[in-house]
Amino acid sequence: MATIDATIAIASDIVSGLAIGKTMTMKKADSTVGLELTTGLAKRSFTSTNQVDLLTFNTGVAADVTADKSAKLYIKNVGSSSTKYFTIGKGNSSGSGTESTIDSSGTVYYRIGRLYGGDWMLIPWDAAGSNIGDITIQPSSAEKMDVEYMVFYE
Amino acid sequence: MATTTAALTISSSDLVGDALSLSTSKELHKADTTIGLDQTSGLANTYLTATTNIDLFGAIIDTPAFEGKSHWVYIHNKSETPTEYATITIGDKVVGRLYAGDWMWMPWDHAQDTHGNNKHADIELAPSVATGMWFEYCMIHEGMQLSTAV
Repeated sequence: MATIDATIAIASDIVSGLAIGKTMTMKKADSTVGLELTTGLAKRSFTSTNQVDLLTFNTGVAADVTADKSAKLYIKNVGSSSTKYFTIGKGNSSGSGTESTIDSSGTVYYRIGRLYGGDWMLIPWDAAGSNIGDITIQPSSAEKMDVEYMVFYE
Repeated sequence: MATTTAALTISSSDLVGDALSLSTSKELHKADTTIGLDQTSGLANTYLTATTNIDLFGAIIDTPAFEGKSHWVYIHNKSETPTEYATITIGDKVVGRLYAGDWMWMPWDHAQDTHGNNKHADIELAPSVATGMWFEYCMIHEGMQLSTAV
């Protein structure tokens, strides 16, 4: 059993007293046992605006990340631009420069949000479902853009 | 201009052969700018006593004025019981489960849905038990559409 701690610290002067500081120890589903597997910190570069899979359902690590298991996904845009961003989504990637259709009636794709230069996210990840488990990524620019990502799982 | 910083540290001394240590920090900006975000929902603390799937943040996409704007969402499952989790969804699509003590931080785009079923891009939470679970959540953003009073 490994011990993996993730601490978030939000400091803001939007309103008085808005501060968040929380540490979670990543654990297996329904358990006090710590997660013990990881992809390690991966890095990919992109030179087109095509929407592609960053992580693919039932492939590699995603084969082990099912609905009743615990997994955490970290992604960071390691660039510094305030205008170039990655659009992160979940589901089927289009493979082209056009984002997949967002349709809540189907099980195809939905958009999560944008990561501009330096932005990071850490979410639980359920990779179950052949059409909706993939993590997709789409650069906003065809100029070289880099992303780092890591999965912690059981 | 307001300043909001989101910092993360991930560490482990025994996950891999050498100690793992990752730290990052970023000021939160409005889309395509270096101007700080200046609006927030505040940090909410709520106690849910049903397994009903609820909206934490609703996206009103009939006029998608805020699609592509910057929004950041924090959710924390305050339970200390390992078997108590919350399923987080966008629309009706599962992101994943927040187990006891877990938190998540993600960007959120009020993406326009092509299907007119009012599911939109709402951020939803469903507790796994009806015996009562505490949650904290917060959104920091540059604007969102509020519901018209009826």
